[in-house]
Amino acid sequence: MKKKLSELDYGDFGTVCEISFNKSGLRSLGVREGKTLTMVTKQPIKGPVVVMLGEVEVAIGLKMADSVFVECA
Amino acid sequence: MAEKSKQTKKILMVGNPNVGKSALFNRLTGGEAIVSNYPGTTVDFTRGEFAVGGIFYEVTDVPGTYSLEPRDGAEEVAVSILHKEKDAIVLIVLDATRVERGLYLALEVVERGYSAIIALNMIDEAHDKEISVSASELQRLLGVPVVATSAISGEGIKDLARMTAKACKTDIARINAALEEKPDESVSTGGCGGCMGCGGCGGC
Repeated sequence: MKKKLSELDYGDFGTVCEISFNKSGLRSLGVREGKTLTMVTKQPIKGPVVVMLGEVEVAIGLKMADSVFVECA
Repeated sequence: MAEKSKQTKKILMVGNPNVGKSALFNRLTGGEAIVSNYPGTTVDFTRGEFAVGGIFYEVTDVPGTYSLEPRDGAEEVAVSILHKEKDAIVLIVLDATRVERGLYLALEVVERGYSAIIALNMIDEAHDKEISVSASELQRLLGVPVVATSAISGEGIKDLARMTAKACKTDIARINAALEEKPDESVSTGGCGGCMGCGGCGGC
């Protein structure tokens, strides 16, 4: 099932399948198509989402997270 | 460069935030750059120097950046320094515990035609976490010298200083070709397999 990264729940994981906006910015952080990530935290009041990408935790602004689509099992 | 009596080369230390550039800088130059355990400590640059094999190196500790497309003030400083010093050697610092993250920036740097050398920093922490990283394999794939270092314990710092003279250019096509061939066949390419003994840079 395809979901926006911002819609993932705690502990959900999936594979990045599409980035619709600011590709280069996200890629330099390690968010690339084909990478598996796990949702770690969602900060309240439209705060950033924090995902685990392999060994690295990456915080992504909510707007940016809206442009990342994840294929969940 | 300068006359024979005092050859000075410029080195720019580039890498993601919080990979230990400043700590490594202090180790190399005896400098006093501020080091802390969180990203974004260096927002401006620091200069220092060291000498090895009769060559003086002027080292610039550049603020950490994720890419060469700046997104904040510190990244702008980093990118503009790189822009100004086209002939400098770029010392790319990678965190050995999360190598993949820094490779994006590393590839951006070599793509722009800089002479590069890679320091696989925090190798002590990688050992602790039982992460094994093959410097020689990275060297074979990327075509630039790769040295495992630890700014904390001092491991590999001397090797890094010595290998700086071997920094060289590579290009993406060459890296792609290296990725396609099997490790055992590397001998036939003319580039060395990267035993770290000679600092061979893959035939460039």
